[in-house]
Formats: sequence, structure tokens, C-alpha cells
Amino acid sequence: MNRSPLTLALLSVLLGACTPADPQQKVTSALADGVILPAYSSWAEADQKLAASGQAFCAGQQDLPQAREAFRAAQSAWAGLQTVLVGPITEGNRAWQVQFWPDKKNLVARQVQGLLKKYPQLSAADLEKSSVVVQGLTAYEYILYDESIDLTDAQQKNSYCPLITAIGKHQQKLSAEILADWQAKDGVASQFKEFPNPRYAEAPEALADVLRSQVTAIDVLKKKLGTPLGRQSKGQPQPYQAEAWRSNASLANIAATLASAERLWHGANQDGMQSLLGSDQDALKKRIDAAYLDTRQRLAALQRPLSELLKEEDGRAVLNEFYDSLNVLHRLHEGELARTLGIQLGFNANDGD
Amino acid sequence: MIRMPLASASLLAIAISLAGCGEEKAPTTQAAAPAAESKQATPTAAAEKADNTNAYDEAAAKAVVSHYADIAFAVFSDAASTGKALHEAIDTFLATPNDANLKAAREAWVAARVPYMQSEVFRFGNAVVDDWEGQLNAWPLDEGLIDYVAKDYQHALGNPGATANIVANTEIQVGEDKVDVSKITPEVLASLNELGGSEANVATGYHAIEFLLWGQDLNGTNPGAGDRPATDFVVGEGATGGHNERRREYLKAAADLLVSDLDEMVGQWQAGVADNYRASLEKDNAKNGMRKMLFGMGSLSLGELAGERMKVSLEANSTEDEQDCFSDNTHNAHFYDAKGVRNIYLGEYKKVDGTMLTGPSLSSLVAKADAKTDETLKADLADTEAKLQVMVDSANNGEHYDQLIAADNAKGNQIVRDAIAALVKQTGAIEQAAGKLGISDLNPDNADHEF
Repeated sequence: MNRSPLTLALLSVLLGACTPADPQQKVTSALADGVILPAYSSWAEADQKLAASGQAFCAGQQDLPQAREAFRAAQSAWAGLQTVLVGPITEGNRAWQVQFWPDKKNLVARQVQGLLKKYPQLSAADLEKSSVVVQGLTAYEYILYDESIDLTDAQQKNSYCPLITAIGKHQQKLSAEILADWQAKDGVASQFKEFPNPRYAEAPEALADVLRSQVTAIDVLKKKLGTPLGRQSKGQPQPYQAEAWRSNASLANIAATLASAERLWHGANQDGMQSLLGSDQDALKKRIDAAYLDTRQRLAALQRPLSELLKEEDGRAVLNEFYDSLNVLHRLHEGELARTLGIQLGFNANDGD
Repeated sequence: MIRMPLASASLLAIAISLAGCGEEKAPTTQAAAPAAESKQATPTAAAEKADNTNAYDEAAAKAVVSHYADIAFAVFSDAASTGKALHEAIDTFLATPNDANLKAAREAWVAARVPYMQSEVFRFGNAVVDDWEGQLNAWPLDEGLIDYVAKDYQHALGNPGATANIVANTEIQVGEDKVDVSKITPEVLASLNELGGSEANVATGYHAIEFLLWGQDLNGTNPGAGDRPATDFVVGEGATGGHNERRREYLKAAADLLVSDLDEMVGQWQAGVADNYRASLEKDNAKNGMRKMLFGMGSLSLGELAGERMKVSLEANSTEDEQDCFSDNTHNAHFYDAKGVRNIYLGEYKKVDGTMLTGPSLSSLVAKADAKTDETLKADLADTEAKLQVMVDSANNGEHYDQLIAADNAKGNQIVRDAIAALVKQTGAIEQAAGKLGISDLNPDNADHEF
């Protein structure tokens, strides 16, 4: 794009000065307050509870089911954040510190064991300089759920507790820092409301960033479902390649991501992306509405955990239908919606293998 | 993303903006001009404009796509000839399995990787290459499928073939099925790829051969590559490893298959063949051809090389996710992958015999549409190469890729991080260049066959 800074400045200030006339700015502003900020708040809150739960569990004040519940809540909040991975979470590999997936070679087992061998009394600082694989939810899930680990055994529990509490603290700190970045005066949220700013020259750039994140998240859902379904491996199911297979939360995570994608579309007060489509775009609007409804209904009808459904032919059939439904939703956003909004999505990190 | 300091918003701009507020159109010519320009600057609008007025000359663009096919032909031909040289070196080694011949075979393998890695840019966008390449370069693999492994060997969870050890067994158990592998032939090996649906089951290709020539790299992020002794291929006195006849058969069969596969792809890019892939590419309109070129460049730069091959291994400090992990040749793999991207843009390729193939390039088309965009992309491609050269130099000085990604190697991590950043930047410039040619939809129609 051949835009000189002066041209940009001229244009941006023009747009900025005419706030009420700019529908894209209205939408990014509404999404920041109504959808994005609440998602980051929920995530930080869930991580705060996760850290508290880890400490309480290790102090004998919480039992394993309670610790697992806190974990699943944190995992679900993270899944709900997938569609709004814009701003500071995308910098410095922070997203990978929260979750490492896919873990094709079961690195989490090797690295957790290696870490505890190296640092039997692991500190927060030790964790921070270690691999992303052991810093987040992936390792936390492994410790709380893996068959090889028995946390009712006092000796085992003692050996894992330094890591449980260190991960909890790390996640709490990370999410609190990012939330603070969003909420600060002249923080990230304000960069979705006033333009130009150090992040975006104009509202369409901010909107494009959100749409890119949303489309990528839906694309990744296809991967999260398609990989265990064996869509890339001669149709033979690969249950251990699923996300969150240990905690049996694969479908719950997909539901959380889908719900947040739909919130971006509708907006908290019917002021989301759909409000940018004029009356001449009613047909597209209806198709996207219908696609969300279809994915939601199919997901609700699944009822049983992914691992069980994968074992049966009927189960795989309904999962494949759900996959097709996700695919329709993805195509509508990536193609027609992006084109209608004048947004080029470009390459994303999934364009490789 | 364009970041601009607020300070550059001049007083004039503010004055104009205030004047323009509340009106449908900005009232002054100064304001109207940037507004119009900004419209063109949004890629979709630019694309539409190109469709009407053509940002490039159709005949010139056709020549660029044809030359792209010339480069593919030259690269795959070099991959095939160095593949044959590898095959010969393996024959010599198997005839006399000693240290010197093992060394020569390993060197031939490293040499064969140079053109092959430069072919990877053809993968994305050209289904004929992508559907074919798994048998040659699938990775990462669970090497326990092939041969003996160390006790702490880590494999993909739920892979029923992870410890099948074809060399040691004439029949392998995969789940409930038994598979007869009493005869090790190219066909049998090819049929074992993705056994049981697990993509970590890789029985053929460069990495299977690499594993047989080097063995597991048991040094983790410490110095050193795989260290398989030549005696693993000796029959009779002094033999090590066990089942050496079968290991020899395996290596031979894998080398045979590699050579025939490479020959097949050369045929797809040969000029003047009525029904090969090249013919269909040249028959198609130039825009689709250029879209494939640009899609291949961007996908390899970002998702594959910067993402899968570098970022995963770096952030996870995982040597399991290193490209040429047995031989410690990863620095070259990355360097020549990126070189391949640059080749496509500049329309050039340095052949194995040292001669330079040059011709009509994307670069020249982009330069005509917008000289600055072309300069930027050329500079970014050169910068990526420089950053990867640092990685190559580091390896030549004894510090290899698997050491660079160690958790406590801040300096080494930075070398990898710099290369990733350069690739990410270059991808942005590729998108810009595509926009200048009026190519906004970078996903070619047939790229969806993967999923």
C-alpha cells in the first residue's frame, strides 16, 4: 500500500473528527466494550481462581474435583478468548505460554518430568525461563488428569505441587497484565475507539484485525475437530491428537469459542459486525445467522464427550456433519463477509501444513 | 499494520479535518485526494481496479508463470540428479560398509537436500507437489517404526506403529491387524506411511534415509548429531545393531523409491508434454498462476517455515520438532527453504552445476506496478537470507540449530527469533506485492485439498 504518513494522517484525522459518520469505528468501539473487554476480564478472573485453587489444593483445602473444576473454567475462558486474540496477547508468544496445542509428540509428558527432575523445588523464576510447554494449561491438565499421575498419593502430590502453584501464578500474572493493558487510560481498548493511534491508523485496520482473529479461530476449530476425526489421516480417528482430551473438554472448548465468535457477529447490543451490513446485504446476514444457529444446534445435539463419539461410526458421522457446518461458517466469514467489509485477510499462521 | 506516530498529523491535517467534519465529502482538494487514495489502498478496492485496468501486461505475466515452471523443472531435475548421487553413495556404502563410505553417503544426503529444500516453495498452491511430497519429506516421524531406538524415545500418543521396528520384525502388529513386512521393497515401505492413520508413521523419504544414515540424535540440545556406526550395516564379523540384512534392504529400498519419486515430479514440469501439470498451469490464466506463486511464497514463509519449523521448536525448546534432527542439517534446510521463496520472486535459480537460471520475474511485474513495493520485498527477502546465513554460520562454527533452541541459550534463541521476525515481515511484503498485482484472494482454489 502506497500511503505516505502525511496522507495517512490527513485521512485518519478526517475520520477521527467525524466519529458519528464512521460506522466501522462505531462497531470496533462497541465490540471493545461489549465483547472484547468482557472476554479478557472473564479470562483474568478465571486465572485468578485457578491460582487460588492450585494453592488451596496443595494446602489440602481443596480436593481434586474442585481443582479440576477451576482448571476447566480457566480452559473454557481461554477458549472464549480465541476469537479476540488481538493486541498484547499476540506479542511475545504469550498465547503459547497459556496453551501448547497441538502437542503431536506428547512433549508435555517429557518436559514436565524433565523439569521436575531438574528443579525439584521449582520456583516461579525457574518456570519463566522454561519451555512454553510447561508454563500453561497444557501442563496443568496433564498433571491433574493424566493416568500416570496419582494426586491422591501424598508423595506424588508433593512432587507436582510446586509446578501446579507456579503455573497458576504464572497464568494469573500473565492475564492480569494483559487485562491491565486493555483497561489502562490510553490502553488497548481505547485503540479500538479513537483513531489514529499507535496501533491502528484507522478504524478499518482495527476491524480487520478483529475479523482476522475471528476467522482464524473458526479455522482452528476445524483443525481441532478434524485432526482427531482423522480427516487428514485416511479417516482413522486420532483421539490423542484432540485438544483437551485428557480433561474430556474438547467439545466444551469448541462451544466456548463458537459462542464468542457469535458475540462478535451480533455484538452485545446488536452493534457487532452484522450492523455493518446494509439492507442490501440482508441475504448474507441471514445466511450467517443461520450458519451460527446450525453449528450451535449440532453441537448441542452431540451430548457425549468427543472421545466416546470417535469410537462409534454413528458418532463419527454426526461429528463429520458438525465439521461441515463449521466449514460453512468459516467460508462465509473468510469469503463473503470479508469481501463485503472490504477486508483482505492475507496469510495466517495456519497456511502451512 | 501501519503504525504512525500521532505527531505526524500536521496542523494542516487537523484544519482540513475540522473543515470536513459533518459533510458528506471533504470540501477541499487536499482532503479529497487522500480520501481517494485511501480507497485504492484497501486491497479489495485495489484488486477491483486491477481487474478493470490490469496492473500488469497479460503476455508478460504469462511469461513469468512459464519461467516459474522452468525454475520448477530445473530445481526438481537437480533434486533428482543429487538423489541419484545419494543412491550411488548408498550402493557404495552397502558394498563396503566402512566409516569413509558412511561419511560419503551422509555428505551426499546433505548435498541432495540443497535443491530439494528449494523445491518446497512449489508445494503450497500446486496440489500435484503437495500430494506427492509426503512420501519424500514427511516429518516429524516416530523413528521407532523403522529401527531400534533408545529407551527414553518419545513418540506420538496413540500411534500404534510407534515401536513397530520394521528392521527387526518380519511381521508387525498395528492395533488388531498384523502386517507382513517380510520383504522390504519400495512398494511395501510406501504402503506403511501413515500406518494406522498416524502421520508420525513415516517409512520413506529423506528423513527415513537420514535416520538410517545417522541414527537418533541423543544429545538433546547439547552438541552432537546422530552417531550410528557403519557396522550397523555390516553382515558377519563386527556387525552391530542386529538384523543387518534387513537394515541394508531397507536403506536400499528407501533410496530406490526416493529416486523414482523425484523422477516422476521432473516429468510433471517438463515443457512440451501435453498432459502434465505444467501444461495445465500454462493453459490457465496468468492471474491464477501468479496466485499460486505468491501463495506458495507466503505459506512457506509464514505458516510453515517461521511457524511449524522454527517457532514450535524454539518456544517449546523441542528437538523433536527440528527439521533435519538426526543429521543436524537443519540450518541448511531452513536456509534453502527461504532461498526457494526468494528464487520465485526474483525469477532466478542457481543450479547445482553453478550456472544461473534467470528470466521474467514477479519482481519485474511488481516494479512496473509500484517500484517501492518491489524494493521493499526485495530488501525483505535479502534480509531473511542474511538472518538465516547467521544460523548457517553458527552451525559451521559448531553451534547447531538444536543448540540454538535450548531454554538457557538466550543468544542462540535470538538468532532463531530474528529469522522468524524477518520471515513474518517478508510475508507482509508478499501480501503487499500481491495487492499491487491485483491479487487479493491469496487462497488458490485447489489449496483446500488438505482439509
